[in-house]
Amino acid sequence: MMTLATSSSQPVLVCDNVSRWFQGVHALKNVSVSINSGEIFGLVGPNGSGKTTLVNAVTGFYPPQEGSIHFKGEKINGLKPHRIAERGIARTFQNVALFRGMSVLDNILLGRHIYMNPNPLASLFYWWWAKKEENKHRHKVEEVIDLLQLESVRDEHVDTIPLGLQKRVELARALSAEPQLLVLDEPMAGMNQEEKEYMVRFILDAQKALDLSVLIIEHHMDVVTAICDRILVLNNGSRIAEGPALEAIADPQVVEAYLGKARNAA
Amino acid sequence: MFYRIAGVYHTRYDKARALWPVPADRWQITVVVIFALAAPFLLSDLYLGSYALPWLIWSAATLSLTLLMGLAGQLHFGFAAVMAIGAYTSIHLARFGVPFEFALLGAGIASAAIGALFGAAALRVKGLYLVMATLAMQYLVDWVINNVPAISGGAQATLRTPPSSFLLISLESLEVRYYLALAWAVLLAIFFMNVKRTSFGRALVAIRDKDFAAAVIGIDPFRYKLLAFFTSSFVGGVTGALLAFCYYRAVTPEQFGFNVSIQLVAMVLVGGLGSIIGGFLGAGFVLLIPIILTNLVSGLAASGFLTVSSNLLAHLPLMIYGALIIGFLVFEPLGLAKIYDNIRKYFLVWPFRHSRS
Repeated sequence: MMTLATSSSQPVLVCDNVSRWFQGVHALKNVSVSINSGEIFGLVGPNGSGKTTLVNAVTGFYPPQEGSIHFKGEKINGLKPHRIAERGIARTFQNVALFRGMSVLDNILLGRHIYMNPNPLASLFYWWWAKKEENKHRHKVEEVIDLLQLESVRDEHVDTIPLGLQKRVELARALSAEPQLLVLDEPMAGMNQEEKEYMVRFILDAQKALDLSVLIIEHHMDVVTAICDRILVLNNGSRIAEGPALEAIADPQVVEAYLGKARNAA
Repeated sequence: MFYRIAGVYHTRYDKARALWPVPADRWQITVVVIFALAAPFLLSDLYLGSYALPWLIWSAATLSLTLLMGLAGQLHFGFAAVMAIGAYTSIHLARFGVPFEFALLGAGIASAAIGALFGAAALRVKGLYLVMATLAMQYLVDWVINNVPAISGGAQATLRTPPSSFLLISLESLEVRYYLALAWAVLLAIFFMNVKRTSFGRALVAIRDKDFAAAVIGIDPFRYKLLAFFTSSFVGGVTGALLAFCYYRAVTPEQFGFNVSIQLVAMVLVGGLGSIIGGFLGAGFVLLIPIILTNLVSGLAASGFLTVSSNLLAHLPLMIYGALIIGFLVFEPLGLAKIYDNIRKYFLVWPFRHSRS
């Protein structure tokens, strides 16, 4: 299944024959995929095709029952989600998963969690212990806020800002963890054209600034063809096409999966 | 003076994270602290000993519980048991001859160890099931205290606190005990404020709000829930010990029964989950309002304004008290702290009308 031997750069994430069942539903069927370092890799397919399941397998929420997942050469399937996060994979969610009780700034600061040493005694002796660490990470967070132009909403509560901004805050939270692999689950769902263009710009900026590999699930084909180096098309849990975006979506099987066969047309 | 947030801006990150960035708040806190320090000179011994002192200690207890319930979002309906462990540990240590300072520390450690042990078992379940598991802790601890004479001193026994001193100052005088309680309540409030602005507090709020999203940014949900149980039980245990030594000056099992746990939950909810000022207001409300209502109603009856049967007279304060709790929670579900916050925000921007959020 490995068709990427010709690629020049090192693969950062390798999924090998990953399968996942939910009771009777075979949600992922022997899916293999390899994402190269520095690449933007698109994951597309109709609803229920297993895109989010694959992402959940990578991030540890639903570990695959069969197959293996390697990140930077290290096996990560079977690790708890927070262990996988520590190894350098950050993600955003399809439905915004921000912490509603906190300000934008606190949400983004939480992205720094894996580099901080939170403990009650450090909090008690704030002025002699935690303050220095807080300020150090605040500097990093301000860089991300700067990159994603979130200065104006920094002190707002997250549930008072518009959805487009919330998605950007979630991206900022993921970026402040300085990941090597960024997983974006429909970052542009529910956005208007202008917000979409902003988001694309931010993803490209962030990828360049932080030297990221990006795995992106997206339904907007204009976005996918514009920014993805390669894509994988899933249907009913199995791979139907893989390759450069324009070639892959022109594949007859992909057209069939999205639009149906000619004889089914009304 | 009028527009109180005018001119408040920050040039450094730690200034922006200061506890009270608005000068009006600092003045307010200063006045409150001065009153608290002057209370022994302003109040009679009766008011100091039976109103101000228990209010402070119960506020500390409410803050301990709201760290767990408000910040970390883990419901605990057996917190009186945690305080009981602290109280009994400290009194036995003190009777054994351990200095009071170390007895307090021992109380915290014993409560934290047992509280976290129950927490570890209880944390396999969430929400209402966690309530049941913590209730089980309440009944187990009650049973053990009642039925092990080595702890309770025998059936229906009361253990008196031995004469003790804190930092060489004897706890015999009421003023000293008041200042000790005040110091503990202030220390807890400062701890709580610092938790809220550091990574530890953010991690707790993260597991409260969305534990899967917390896991994906590297927070181990179980570890932090357990840490919340541990920390909250530690300060709860010390508070229980202070309650025994400073207020009751004796320990009996009834002081830490199930109804006390419910009362603590009421203090947390009426005050406002996860709020510091709510901890003080909620404890004050639950503790003092029934007394004030009783005095008010009997005063009115004695002066002839209220002519009801003596039977109703006993129940009237309770009825008004219940109605007040319901009324407050319907009017503002986020508790007294939110009411305070609304008023504060109104005056922050006054004479302009709208404040943000």
